[in-house]
Amino acid sequence: MLLPVFTLKLRHKISPRMVAIGRYDGTHPCLAAATQAGKVFIHNPHTRSQHFSAPRVLQSPLESDVSLLNINQAVSCLTAGVLNPELGYDTLLVGTQTNLLAYDVYNNSDLFYREVTDGANAIVLGTLGDISSPLAIIGGNCALQGFDHEGNDLFWTVTGDNVHSLALCDFDGDGKKELLVGSEDFDIRVFKEDEIVAEMTETEIITSLCPMYGSRFGYALSNGTVGVYDKTARYWRIKSKNHAMSIHAFDLNSDGVCELITGWSNGKVDARSDRTGEVIFKDNFPAAIAGVVEGDYRMDGQVQLVCCSVDGEIRGYLPGTAEMRGNLMDTSVEQDLIRELSQKKQHLLLELRNYEENAKAESSSPLSEADGHRGIIPANTKLHTALSVNLGNENQAAHVELRVSTSNDTIIRAVLIFAEGIFIGESHVVHPSIHNLSSSIRVPITPPKDVPVDLHLKAFVGYRSSTQFHVFELTRQLPRFSMYALTSPAPASEPVSYVNFIIAERAHRVVVWLSQNFLLLEDTAIQNAPFQVCFTSLRNGGQLCIKVKPSGEITINTDDIDLAGDVIQSMASFFAIEDLQVEADFPVYFEELRKVLVKVDEYHSVHQKLSADMADNSNLIRSLLVRAEDARLMRDMKTMKRRYMELYDLNKDLLNEYKIRCNNHTELLGNLKAVNQAIQRAGRLRVGKPKNQVITACRDAIRSNNINTLFRIMRVGTASS
Amino acid sequence: MDLVLNRADYVQVGVTSQKTMKLLPASRHRATQKVVIGDNDGVVMCFGMKKGETVTVFKTLPGLKIERLELGGVLNTPQEKIFVAAGSEIRGFTKRGKQFLSFETNLTESIKAMHISGSDLFLSANYIYNHYCDCKDQHYYLSGDKINDVICLPVERVPRITPVLACQDRVLRVLQGSDVMYEIEIPGPPTVLELYNGNGGNSGEDILFGTSDGKLGLIQITASKPIHKWEIRNEKKRGGVLCIDSFDIVGDGVKDLLVGRDDGIVEVYSFDNANEPVLRYDQVLSESVTFIQGGCVGKDGYDEIVVATYSGWVTGLTTEPIHKESGPGEEVKINQEMQNKISSLRSELEHLQCKVLQERENYQKSSQSSKAKSAVPSFSINDKFTLNKDDASYSLVLEVQTAIDNVLIQSDVPIDLLDVDKNSAVVSFSSCDSESNDNFVLATYRCQANTTRLELKIRSIEGQYGTLQAYVTPRIQPKSCQVRQYQIKPLSLHQRTHFIDHGRPMNTLTLTGQFSFAEVHSWVVFCLPEVPEKPPAGECVTFYFQNTFLDTQLESVYRKGEGVFKSDNISTISILKDVLSKEATKRKINLNISYEINEVSVKHTLKLIHPKLEYQLLLAKKVQLIDALKELQVHEGNTNFLIPEYRCILEEADHLQEEYKKQPAHLERLYGMITDLFIDKFKFKGTNVKTKVPLLLEILDSYDQNALIAFFDAA
Repeated sequence: MLLPVFTLKLRHKISPRMVAIGRYDGTHPCLAAATQAGKVFIHNPHTRSQHFSAPRVLQSPLESDVSLLNINQAVSCLTAGVLNPELGYDTLLVGTQTNLLAYDVYNNSDLFYREVTDGANAIVLGTLGDISSPLAIIGGNCALQGFDHEGNDLFWTVTGDNVHSLALCDFDGDGKKELLVGSEDFDIRVFKEDEIVAEMTETEIITSLCPMYGSRFGYALSNGTVGVYDKTARYWRIKSKNHAMSIHAFDLNSDGVCELITGWSNGKVDARSDRTGEVIFKDNFPAAIAGVVEGDYRMDGQVQLVCCSVDGEIRGYLPGTAEMRGNLMDTSVEQDLIRELSQKKQHLLLELRNYEENAKAESSSPLSEADGHRGIIPANTKLHTALSVNLGNENQAAHVELRVSTSNDTIIRAVLIFAEGIFIGESHVVHPSIHNLSSSIRVPITPPKDVPVDLHLKAFVGYRSSTQFHVFELTRQLPRFSMYALTSPAPASEPVSYVNFIIAERAHRVVVWLSQNFLLLEDTAIQNAPFQVCFTSLRNGGQLCIKVKPSGEITINTDDIDLAGDVIQSMASFFAIEDLQVEADFPVYFEELRKVLVKVDEYHSVHQKLSADMADNSNLIRSLLVRAEDARLMRDMKTMKRRYMELYDLNKDLLNEYKIRCNNHTELLGNLKAVNQAIQRAGRLRVGKPKNQVITACRDAIRSNNINTLFRIMRVGTASS
Repeated sequence: MDLVLNRADYVQVGVTSQKTMKLLPASRHRATQKVVIGDNDGVVMCFGMKKGETVTVFKTLPGLKIERLELGGVLNTPQEKIFVAAGSEIRGFTKRGKQFLSFETNLTESIKAMHISGSDLFLSANYIYNHYCDCKDQHYYLSGDKINDVICLPVERVPRITPVLACQDRVLRVLQGSDVMYEIEIPGPPTVLELYNGNGGNSGEDILFGTSDGKLGLIQITASKPIHKWEIRNEKKRGGVLCIDSFDIVGDGVKDLLVGRDDGIVEVYSFDNANEPVLRYDQVLSESVTFIQGGCVGKDGYDEIVVATYSGWVTGLTTEPIHKESGPGEEVKINQEMQNKISSLRSELEHLQCKVLQERENYQKSSQSSKAKSAVPSFSINDKFTLNKDDASYSLVLEVQTAIDNVLIQSDVPIDLLDVDKNSAVVSFSSCDSESNDNFVLATYRCQANTTRLELKIRSIEGQYGTLQAYVTPRIQPKSCQVRQYQIKPLSLHQRTHFIDHGRPMNTLTLTGQFSFAEVHSWVVFCLPEVPEKPPAGECVTFYFQNTFLDTQLESVYRKGEGVFKSDNISTISILKDVLSKEATKRKINLNISYEINEVSVKHTLKLIHPKLEYQLLLAKKVQLIDALKELQVHEGNTNFLIPEYRCILEEADHLQEEYKKQPAHLERLYGMITDLFIDKFKFKGTNVKTKVPLLLEILDSYDQNALIAFFDAA
């Protein structure tokens, strides 16, 4: 049994995911964590006498070896590490929704304090690709930014949605680190500097990422899933009803390979083997875990795993010694093995008995009423499933329909569908009332996103009076574009927006792609090129037309730029296209974007004006206060009262102004997100190199505030004509 | 001294019921004992342990489910004759496995409990109790509610035959011959009775009882009256007690109390100087503990606690240390034993696997033929659906002999499913859009590997009634599922009680008409929980109930042609009136319903609610302040500047937060009940006040008792 080597109880709360250990003076490891009221505390158990006396830092009144750092804003991310290799000690980095602070704890000075408009939801420190100096990379609203120790912005790119987690990992094994980005649109993207080299779609928001070793990394989702990827392939994953608060790679059983350590919302900490996900160690805290980090906290040359709970409890674990042979749990391995084997045996015996009983039932008389009650059904009962598009009626919106039916007079009591990402929870149940039981059930499905989904069906089959049912299990795949219904004949008017490109594939391969990704009717025969197919979206009735010419030229007409991007990405992966340049025009969307850009400018100028006002007002406060106090000293109570009344009014004004500023800021953020997303969307219309070129060019255009060039890039892919 | 017990699994048999295992008496002190166990397949097995290997002494053929297993023999000699109860038959075996007795009792129901003492045999089926002497019928008693266990004071020490019945209606009935001598009310439905110290204590009259809500107690049954000695309340909200034994495991010369519960907890209580029990040790097993006994099975000279669990595991919690200190050679030997065991298990598994594969193929083949049938494997589910008094919610426990894959919960009444910390299952609530399908709740619980037990917490609303269904699918092939149904009754939050306060202002509902006693009883069963299905004997019956949430009460007195229901809560009367008239209409029975409303009762009920509401409001307010106060504390460093009230909150912060977490939505439920009370009060007057409800909620938001009472009076 592995026991903690030290346990501390600090009387400060710790904000989840915001814990870091650093050697801020170059020798002593200290724990820094964000706490309540916009503060960061630094726990330094090694040099007790040291006291800070600076405006930003104050001694904690509760704990002698804890100092508090005032940030005055809710901290949104925190890390520590070497930012300036010349300094020889670690820097503390604190991100908020508007700023990033690089702080030199030892000298009590700022390395830099930068305003970041996209916010900092996540932060990672390290070297990225070929960039020589270490970078502090922050992820905000659809944007990624990397700063060196002087605060220079050396890295900037956009991603699909708000960033929630970041990690650096040598993904492709070239000895250089790639950036892993987990975002709100359930995607894990891998950036080789500013080029996306891989994209993995998960089923929920990715809350944490951590490098394990080599190309392997761990991830955690907001629905309680944790798992391990090797490159783009998922090794294993498990789901719990609790949430993974923090994950970390640490070799706890001294076998030379890191395990995935997870801190859970219910206070559990477990270590799982990187290969199988098997639990090799667990411990429980009385409160949720805030962070899992590592460091030589006792300064004895051994690195400990340090787990912190939100209540401020800190426990350190040393890796198991060789004698423990990886046996970190308290029960003996043999006992467990015997129990497991016996359980297996019992399980097999039960199954065997089932078959025996089945044989008995078979030899008895033909099917009777009593049999139905016991759940005996004809052995040749089969379950059929069919997917189709239902255009809906006035009562029900259009949807994809899954029809489940049995091959005889047996009824389906209920259907459970387990699928990720398309229902509110992880499952959907259809349980007809006792009066409406029949041998077939229709299940309406409306997937919110265009992703292929595996539907794991469990159907309870029996008779009306049964108390026991057979469970039929099967898996169906829902095609990516199942929410688009074929419209024939083609509508008179097609969308004005289009994407145009040429691929070197025969027309019938395109047909194969179509039949795999859309729900086509079985009798839909598509003739040779040139041909044209049109679809209607079941979500908003939008049109999608795909035209194929004999030359291999394909035109996609749709007003939905996201859909066009999805279609192109799906085609590219199906036909294994590496680079694809396209010509695109989305006049409606571009017009909206133009308006957004104008608004961004407006909000920026309002923001500046408000900031100036605020500065004026704070000067006014100072003078009012001085005058009021003067009046008090002069015992001129009347004037004093008046001054304080004025101060009170001013305070109210300030509060109002603050609200205005807040609104302005959220509007600004929303619009900036839209701009970032537009760049991302323009990129998604292309594949490979052209994609990166578009993103870089768009970014340059925005920097130089050249809107017309921006649209030109989005249309043809390059700035120059 | 800390008690350290190591777990050793001996053998697994079929699913076991409560009290179906015994240790045979040892030949000498601390010598290994044989274990005899009966399972649901009807197999009685006797085995001993030799060098870590199980040695089977005998094993009978399968038959009817074994309900009880007891040891007997001539008084004052070793009790080593084995008696089992299966169906309505009692069989007797010698310790070598020779059957010497087969006694068909001719009871119409199957036997549920058994006690043996010399040549006296005490049996009980669901409602019937029978006493046989030398297999001749002596006495008979028909109980008003289900009998869970039966015991008799030791006849060799107490000069009379005194059987005691544990009845579901929270009563121990002490019999004399065929008559009840007296009844003892206890705080929960008793599930098990056991003689104190195995012999009835100093007087021979002390018996221990355990209840399904987890309480334990000791009572002395004297010739004239019961004496309550002590009681352990279930503070930690552990599972119901299934088995008790007295055994000196600590080794201090005083017999300790061993307790097994239905949530897998094994406890050891020692007795302090005042003879009060103190918890010494507890261990959590993963499934219900159906039997517990102290003895020695695994190795000579080491005492242990032997337990049997629901899925048939016989496990020892032994004082024998796992790692011997007697030298390196010994350890190797132990490991060798283990290795042998493992390899033999492995080869057995391989063999089985082949067989299963073959059978699987056959099964697949049979599905091709059009005539063949496919039967669903039956598996046993151990379920319990009970009302918790403390938080007025139901708990549903499902236990299956193998691992559960998933559970689908469906309900046609609005209920809340609450999270239970112990569960590791992933819950997912499905939308139930189509109203035609009578679904209010559809939720799936996907269990993690090796989960055999699932616990759910359910909050119901009084007046909304219907059925809750659980579809349980275990992980076994061929896949199948079983449905279990549970009734959510109209007055679901009421609980039987033995006495009520007659001084309260009461509202009365009177039913008259042409209905039989059985009919009116069936209505009461339909409306209220904890009422026996069978109409009790006698012409007129009185039941008392208590609302577990509000502590209001209900008295129901009924006979053929008349039923009178009295409650101090108007809402209770209103629900009864609605349900009864609906039921009567359904069965086309002409009912005269009259009611008498006592205006004072409303004020009285509000006064009953007042302390609860005030407490909850204060608690909510305090909890809200905690975070802000803590922040101030961090800022200022000390709390001396705060007023005492706030300082107090800070000191009790953890406790307050825990309390708050324990009762989610408590305030909302109270608000809901006050609103119901308001609507019901005026419903009886014939006015609809639904439009005034928002006004009421406004008053509740800024709660003041007098304002609320005034509003009730004024509206």
